[in-house]
Amino acid sequence: MVPFGGWGMPLNYPAGTIAEHLACRSGVALFDVSHLGSLEVSGEGAFELLQTAFTNDLRRIGPGRAQYTHLLAEADASVVDDIIVWWLEEQRFIVLPNATNNKGVVGALPGCADVAPDRALLALQGPASRSTLEKVSPEAAGVARFRVSTFEWDGELAIVAGTGYTGEEGFELSLPNRVAASMWAALAESGAEQAGLGARDTLRLEAGLPLHGHELGPGISPLDAGLGWVVGWDKENFTGRDAIVALREAGPTVRLCGLSIEGRRPPREGQAVFRNGAEVAAVTSGNFSPTLGHGIAMAFLPADVVAGDFVTLDQRGTEVPAVVVELPFL
Amino acid sequence: MNVPTDVSYSEDHEWVRPEDGNRLRVGITDYAQDALGDVVFVELPVVGSKVQAGGVFGEVESTKSVSELFAPVGGTILEVNHDLEAAPERVNEDPYGDGWICVMEPMNPGAADALMDAEAYLALLET
Repeated sequence: MVPFGGWGMPLNYPAGTIAEHLACRSGVALFDVSHLGSLEVSGEGAFELLQTAFTNDLRRIGPGRAQYTHLLAEADASVVDDIIVWWLEEQRFIVLPNATNNKGVVGALPGCADVAPDRALLALQGPASRSTLEKVSPEAAGVARFRVSTFEWDGELAIVAGTGYTGEEGFELSLPNRVAASMWAALAESGAEQAGLGARDTLRLEAGLPLHGHELGPGISPLDAGLGWVVGWDKENFTGRDAIVALREAGPTVRLCGLSIEGRRPPREGQAVFRNGAEVAAVTSGNFSPTLGHGIAMAFLPADVVAGDFVTLDQRGTEVPAVVVELPFL
Repeated sequence: MNVPTDVSYSEDHEWVRPEDGNRLRVGITDYAQDALGDVVFVELPVVGSKVQAGGVFGEVESTKSVSELFAPVGGTILEVNHDLEAAPERVNEDPYGDGWICVMEPMNPGAADALMDAEAYLALLET
């Protein structure tokens, strides 16, 4: 167990991080992600509140769909949090912030209700996730990718979304606390490998997905992270709009890249990246890739770097050659 | 936790097994591999190098952390387990067998006698 965002979370289950990771890539894995926030925004002004608070344009979707979006700092368009929004009904939304940023998102959504204490959130991920969920709840397994719907479980109303953070097909299930353990047990008995925070991190890294506090945060705009598509440029008003438009006009100075090394030694956050002998960046996330069998990392490199360029990594005093690759790694 | 009685233990969670001809086989304990999690890389000691007791002579990296290897006794590195370069998971699977790290020639032939026996190591783990 490790502390994470005010929660105690298992880093791994008895199978171990690598076995859990590979189960998610080839079969199905089950994560307890109840540390994520859950804020309910409902009523007449709900759409407008979210539309002006967050970057993405809700007009791209509609009720019954999910959307990835950002909350920006007004002054410099830093990413305050990256968020999934579930649009449940015309005037009812669930907003899922990162655990550590929950407070900041609550502040941006006056009148929202914090429903996280009443519910658990489970993530079922992997190519066999749909067939596994079908055995447990055919009703829930009917939801398509990036769609959201409700279903009944053990006499309670629950929510299912075709979303996740592993790069695989998958589901996230929001359940009232009373019935969460029975869902977990049913999925585990149906073959889902119980997986911890360690595998969650190596999976999202291989998938090139940013983690707030590493690839997103103070001083990092959505454009730096290669996430310009998260911005609804056609929207007239949202927090941070002036700053992000100015950044777009100025053009990028850095871009988030993948780094791949031949050896197995895990690149680690903070390790220096050199180009032509000059230090140009530091690793933001890195590890051993269980799927590829070698080390991988992400870093914000100068914007003129292209895939195929060579750089070097300082791995605990050893200079290690790395090649720049496009994200995701798989 | 597996704490076999045919080896001696250091406070840094390494084991030492005497072999014929003033040789000591060295590895990390079951407790150490379990605490590290999945081992994905081992920086092996350099064959022929001389190390002081307690000196850093290698590193073990898992998906979650880096841990230095401390020489359990002073001496010369005679052999290293090159199999760990491609299969570091052997440290997890068989820490007292196929997951061995190196073979040393101790400077002082009686050096291993100063280390803990299984009973003392178990007591250390329980504190």
